[in-house]
Amino acid sequence: MTSLSTAAAGAIDAFKIYGKDDSEVRALDGVTVTFASEKFTAIMGPSGSGKSTLMHCLAGLDSLTSGSITIGDTNLATLNDKELTLTRRSNVGFIFQAYNLIPTLTALENITLPLDLGGTPVDQQWIDTVVDAVGLRSRLNHRPSELSGGQQQRVAVARALASKPRIIFADEPTGNLDSRMGTEILTFMRHAVTDLGQTIVMVTHDPVAASYADRVIFLADGKIVDELDNPTADHVLDRMKRLGS
Amino acid sequence: MTAPVARLTIRGVIARKWRIFLTILAVVSGVAFVSGAFVLTDSVKKSINDVFATLSEGIDIEVRTSIAFGDEATAERDPVSIDVIDVVTAIDGVRLAEGNLLRAATVIKSDGEPLRTSGPAFGIAWVGPDGLDGRTIVEGRPAAGPGEVTLDKSSARRAGYEVGDTVTIVGPAGKDDFVLVGLNGTGKTTNGGGASIAAFDPVTANEFLGAENMVDSIYIAIDEGADRDAVMAAIDVALPDGLQVITGEQSAEETAGAINDIIDIFGNVLLGFAAVSLFVSAFLIFNTFAIIVSQRLRELALLRAVGASARQIRTMIIGEALVVSVIATLLGILAGMGVAKGIVAIFNAAGAAFPSASLIVSPRTIVASTVVGVGVTVAAAIVPALRAARIPPVAAMRPELGFNSLQKNKRLVVGSITTGIGLVLFSIGVFGQPGGTSGTLGLSALGAILLFLGIASLSTTVAAPASRVISRVLPLPFRPMTRSVPGRLGSRNAQRTPRRTASTASALMIGLALVSTVSVVASSVQASFKEQLQGSVTADFFVSNGPGNFQGLPIAFSERLSELPELSAVSPFRAATAQVNGDTKQIGAVRGSAFGQLVDIDLASGSVESLDDGKILLHRDPARDYAVQVGDTLSILWLNGTEQQIEVGGIYDDATIAGNWLVGLSTLQAVSTATPTDFFIGAKIADGVDIEDARTAVEAVALDFPSAEVQDQAEFQQSQEDQLNQLLIIIYGLLIISIAIAVLGIANTMALSVFERTREFGLLRAVGMSKRDLKRSIRWEAVIVAVFGASLGIIVGIPLGLAVTTALPSTFITTTVVPVNTIIIILIASIIVGVVAAIGPARRAAKLNVLDAISTH
Ligand SMILES: Nc1ncnc2c1ncn2[C@@H]1O[C@H](COP(=O)(O)OP(=O)(O)OP(=O)(O)O)[C@@H](O)[C@H]1O
Ligand SMILES: [Mg+2]
Repeated sequence: MTSLSTAAAGAIDAFKIYGKDDSEVRALDGVTVTFASEKFTAIMGPSGSGKSTLMHCLAGLDSLTSGSITIGDTNLATLNDKELTLTRRSNVGFIFQAYNLIPTLTALENITLPLDLGGTPVDQQWIDTVVDAVGLRSRLNHRPSELSGGQQQRVAVARALASKPRIIFADEPTGNLDSRMGTEILTFMRHAVTDLGQTIVMVTHDPVAASYADRVIFLADGKIVDELDNPTADHVLDRMKRLGS
Repeated sequence: MTAPVARLTIRGVIARKWRIFLTILAVVSGVAFVSGAFVLTDSVKKSINDVFATLSEGIDIEVRTSIAFGDEATAERDPVSIDVIDVVTAIDGVRLAEGNLLRAATVIKSDGEPLRTSGPAFGIAWVGPDGLDGRTIVEGRPAAGPGEVTLDKSSARRAGYEVGDTVTIVGPAGKDDFVLVGLNGTGKTTNGGGASIAAFDPVTANEFLGAENMVDSIYIAIDEGADRDAVMAAIDVALPDGLQVITGEQSAEETAGAINDIIDIFGNVLLGFAAVSLFVSAFLIFNTFAIIVSQRLRELALLRAVGASARQIRTMIIGEALVVSVIATLLGILAGMGVAKGIVAIFNAAGAAFPSASLIVSPRTIVASTVVGVGVTVAAAIVPALRAARIPPVAAMRPELGFNSLQKNKRLVVGSITTGIGLVLFSIGVFGQPGGTSGTLGLSALGAILLFLGIASLSTTVAAPASRVISRVLPLPFRPMTRSVPGRLGSRNAQRTPRRTASTASALMIGLALVSTVSVVASSVQASFKEQLQGSVTADFFVSNGPGNFQGLPIAFSERLSELPELSAVSPFRAATAQVNGDTKQIGAVRGSAFGQLVDIDLASGSVESLDDGKILLHRDPARDYAVQVGDTLSILWLNGTEQQIEVGGIYDDATIAGNWLVGLSTLQAVSTATPTDFFIGAKIADGVDIEDARTAVEAVALDFPSAEVQDQAEFQQSQEDQLNQLLIIIYGLLIISIAIAVLGIANTMALSVFERTREFGLLRAVGMSKRDLKRSIRWEAVIVAVFGASLGIIVGIPLGLAVTTALPSTFITTTVVPVNTIIIILIASIIVGVVAAIGPARRAAKLNVLDAISTH
């Protein structure tokens, strides 16, 4: 039980400041937050509030101006580029809003890419589980250009899961999809957390999407201003109105 | 390279095959010259060596006069007396000894014109049906007495003769008629490798070819079972002084070796082409990869985000370059075989009759081509690969963060330092002289390369403003462009990515810098040469062998001219090799009593007439080097070993025609028995004789010497200048290749950026831009880039040319000329280059479907 409650990732006093003096933008203005393992967390907030920035920093894609980020027990600030790469490869998964796939590789090759890059042996059983869960069995040998937007996103989800990372970050993964496809992806992410024991952090603008999460964090002007456990779409909408966005 | 990186690499190349097509083409052309050079030299050498091996098959031993110094193969030896043949024949173990005699002899065709050959025109002594020299009779019978001749089959056909016809042949002493009794062949061929061969029986040959009972050498076959070394030793003992004995193989090797040296020159010219085209290609490759990397920013960042290390990205990009280079190298080697075959075909069409050779691709060819092709390509891709590896993963979502904005200052510093070092090395190479000419040349070449690289890097800084200026100042016909939308777009696009504009322009810059350098030097040399010729030629007529004829004139010609009452002064110009105080020099021989009236050598001291008293004249430069004055003596060692102390009779300032050393004809004749021929003959009209009458008289004599060409002063000067121009044409040809590759480069960059801007073009078309305007804007952009490159080239090239001109010896350069016409032509040509390079990309852009263009992401 203790292992379940350990933090998969966290930020302490995170500042990310762009520009200097007059033109200074505080994209993150002292954020402290932890993300529990095997939980699905949503990050919400008005446009420009720093959601993407927080996520990029958490994932080791970008660096903080000050403060620290931990993934598992590792403080990212202490890692060099090579070690960061290794961390991303084995401990972090990504799903972006778009442009998730390498156009020259097939769906399956995209899914196993992080494993292949690290020379890690592929756990075939796990890959099968993931592929079946996202329902892509019949499309594995297609190139991204031959897949629909929703299918491409599902490949991205499968890739994020393939290396059984400690934590998966998704930045508006359903932003480009119609509601039916969006629902499909969200259901699957929920499934991945509940049944497959994954940890997911997702940025979204959509209260319905947020309602799939175990917990919602609200960001405004680079600060955490509120949070909500076991949200429903109505609750979320309510809070958002209150935050005046 | 691990499997996934390899997979990404291969897929990357396949996905972008059209984008790297032109790159491959550029590498192919460079490699083709490298492999062509080697294939050509290897193949032709092999076949020529085979021919000589066949020819010498029957010759066990050769006897010839020895030389005191210099190259055994090309030396003009003194002949051997025919009495020696009897001496040799008497020796135990000698089965057969034959005199080998070969002299210039021109066949007159049935239409009365001299037969032109690509090789020399020979008359030889036929040494019998089982002759040792590998020559055979292919039709009829050998010439057996006076008035009979055989010709090689190919010359007979080209001259329009059949067996039984009467043939006129011009020998060293004059012309005569012979009955064609047969056709001869050489080895397995029926032509003489481009030469014409007229064969007489030995007695007739001796007389007609003016050999005076001498032969060039003696071919010897030994009895079966005889010990060759023993026979050679016995011959050596029996021979008079000044003769040497060698094996037939050695003789064949020497002759083949001399021809191989000539073939190597062709090979080296091709390697020069290769060097220039590869250097220019390197820019094209760099550019292509740099553009491809920036186009793939998102993809590369995504790879980084999902866990690819910087090293894996680097490996992938370099791997792509490797794949490209291997493909290009393979194609290049094949193309090189085509180049070699083409050159052989061209020469054969011109009558060279290279023995038909199968192409030889030696391991060396493959290794050299691969090293060069792969090396250049991969080296050029390193910087883009490093840049790709530095792309931060966050760029997968924020492409605008892709490339850390360039450190402009760093680039300026690096560019300036490179340019500076290049300039210094170039100056040392051109003005100083450390370690002889090859070191000097290498140093200036290295300096020039660094200079080009430095300027290329610096030019990024000025690319944007320069593009703006160019788009403003290009002359009137284009003026309306600058105001129109396509004009504005084209010019903005050229300014948008200064780095790309600069490196595209750099490829053109190099080609045109070389062209401007060469044209400054060439026009200065030309102008100086012309000036010197005008100042030094005073003869009214010059007679020389026509162009393309490397044999000299028979000496009988000048003797006949001397007898003409219409002429007051006649002198031949002959050449010999000798050593002066141990250094090998070419020495001219002239008639002292006449030469002073024909050529103004600007005598500083002494007299020209002293030549006839056995004295020597020299130019002031060697006079300074050897610290001699009129009255001092110099020790001259002639080729045949005769050593003389010769008194200096005069020192002169103008070496344009005379060269650095002159002796009298009598001096040369007294020393050497080698068959003399004349380079040219100068003649002055006697007082009171009409120029037309004199010319008629001279041309009447020339009728007996059909290969000779009579020129008056103006014609002579013109022909001398033409010779210089021909040399320059070769150099310009080399540079045109580099410009062709630069055009490829511009086309490539334009094609790539059209691809990149698909969306933008779609938008422009969607809001109503016509196809024509779209094309115009692309063309305009290409023209701006091309003119930018050309201007840089001219700005860099002209000072380099002036530097080289200043560094050349003052005997060579008397005036310095900046060829304004050439520069204007270059600028106009660069506009055309831009337009041509834009044809493909513009057409492509205009073909884009508006909807597709917008939906491409
Ligand atoms: N490279 C940058 N330079 C300067 N400011 C930046 C940069 N990147 C982001 N910002 C600023 O940081 C703030 C946070 O940006 P961020 O992308 O994290 O917002 P977000 O919450 O993801 O917005 P959205 O919902 O629109 O995606 C914004 O004000 C943005 O303008
Ligand atoms: Mg965002």
